[in-house]
Amino acid sequence: MTTHAAEQALQGRPMRSVALEAEQLTRRFGGLVAVNRVSFDVGEGEIFGLIGPNGAGKTTLFNMMTGLQRPSSGSVRYRGAEISTLRPDEIARRGLARTFQNIRLFGNLSALENVMIARHVHTRSGVIGGILALPLARREEQHTHERACELLDLIGLLGRAHQEARTFPYGDQRRLEIARALALEPTLLLLDEPAAGMNTNEKQELSIFIRGIRDRFKLTVLLIEHHVPLVMGLCDRIAVLNFGQLIALGAPEQVRQDPAVIDAYLGAE
Amino acid sequence: MAVFFATYGSLIVAMMLAAMLALSLYLPLLAGQLSLASPGFYALGGYVAAIISTRVVPFDSATQAYVWRLGAHEILRFPGPLYPVSLLIVEMLVASVLSAVLAVALGLPALRLRGIYLLLATIAFVEILQVVTQVLDLTGGAIGIFNIPQPFASQLGYAWVVVPLLVLSAFFVYRLERIRVGRAFTAIREDELAAAAMGINLTYHKVLAFTMGAVLAGIVGVISAHSINTWNSRQGTFDAGIAYLAFVLIGGSRTFLGPIVGGIVLYALPEVLRGIAAIPGLPPALAQLLKDGRLIIYGLLLVLGTIFFPQGLIRPNLFRRRKFEATRQVPGQV
Repeated sequence: MTTHAAEQALQGRPMRSVALEAEQLTRRFGGLVAVNRVSFDVGEGEIFGLIGPNGAGKTTLFNMMTGLQRPSSGSVRYRGAEISTLRPDEIARRGLARTFQNIRLFGNLSALENVMIARHVHTRSGVIGGILALPLARREEQHTHERACELLDLIGLLGRAHQEARTFPYGDQRRLEIARALALEPTLLLLDEPAAGMNTNEKQELSIFIRGIRDRFKLTVLLIEHHVPLVMGLCDRIAVLNFGQLIALGAPEQVRQDPAVIDAYLGAE
Repeated sequence: MAVFFATYGSLIVAMMLAAMLALSLYLPLLAGQLSLASPGFYALGGYVAAIISTRVVPFDSATQAYVWRLGAHEILRFPGPLYPVSLLIVEMLVASVLSAVLAVALGLPALRLRGIYLLLATIAFVEILQVVTQVLDLTGGAIGIFNIPQPFASQLGYAWVVVPLLVLSAFFVYRLERIRVGRAFTAIREDELAAAAMGINLTYHKVLAFTMGAVLAGIVGVISAHSINTWNSRQGTFDAGIAYLAFVLIGGSRTFLGPIVGGIVLYALPEVLRGIAAIPGLPPALAQLLKDGRLIIYGLLLVLGTIFFPQGLIRPNLFRRRKFEATRQVPGQV
């Protein structure tokens, strides 16, 4: 880490503190190497985009960062601590929250319950306290309810707080999933294709929304996205993956002109 | 009225016990874990009661049991001394602790299995326990333990313990569904992966839900052993597990009221059917089925129930409409 910072200083770039570091991250599925020795880091407060064609290994990378899959080799550090060997719930406790490419809300539960569930790590009342409604548990329940309502208000779903999550339109489900992730009070938010299935207008709004929550909640955001204009406009830096390899890394302008990226997206020649 | 209670006292008590057994299966199901381990813990609780009351505590139950066998219909009060209720409570505590310890020991490895494999592991547990109790001297071998003393003068007297227990366990599960731990359970039921990503420790909560169900089944076993008066390896078997499952699935698996209603209604069903079978003029085959086909009828109801009422008879939606209207204003107020 220190050498890394020194390197940056030498290169004359402003000092920034690193939030997330992936180092030589590799994941094999049998003979297939889904992610091959990928290294990059994400600075605090950055909006970092991860793009690449289908099957490039973006979601696998996400899964390794959130503990759903173990890396075959390599490491993931968050704020200096190794997290790739932790369970998903332990990683969530360290301030990493995520959404899923194929929305994974608790479909039969209400929008409110969905968000309240994610307050789990910030509450600690147990079975007995809860059942007897002892003061601590009661206070926590009330606070959980209030916080959940605030977040639903933020995404404009407060009026339908008691509606079952699976009955919401697609775009609302995506935003509800973000609200649920925010209820964890994360410091790093990982969004897996947040704009999938949205129209241009909605994508525009989402872009503004993501910037808004980054500033409001002082987040670092790591997002996977297919829609290139959205990523170019929103992200501070972009990493491009192709067949599990990191082929480009840098500011949007830089990446856009990178011949390897153009090859990957448009085909060689 | 007195005659009614004298005749049906044991049935009424057993119906309430069935409701609690259904709850004991419902608790792990709340966290998405389909387990048929309840009969095993029920058997364990029964043996705890039988061993303590006949072997550990010096209590002369011979006279009492003799009178008992004359028939419950004629005798409403026992002439003999009654087994102290305080000891009954001690037995329940011992059974709870043992069930909890065993549930954690069994749950930690078993709950790594999912779906049908967990189910098979819990069935294996019930079978193993049955074989072990058939062999051990402590549990009376294949014959079992007889002359378990009576803490109450009549079968209906058990209601003094069973009614408060049922109310308590119903309240427990009712509250559980509305608090942090219960929310973690339902999150796991809905989507394990997402629940983990939201910071919920899967193993801890699965084992917790499993243990809660085990403790409840163990307590019911204690009461049953006294109420039945004898305990052996035919108590708490695989078929009993299927019956409890029927209670939950037909009653409803989405709210605590489902298993309670399911347990009470379905346990009483064979008695009602027996009454119907006694109506003169029925074809003999039908009368026979109504009288003896308890398991066939449960099986049939399970199939029909899952087709026509996949969520069971008692569904949360039945209450939600009103709840929704009532809480509509809440967001504005908060």
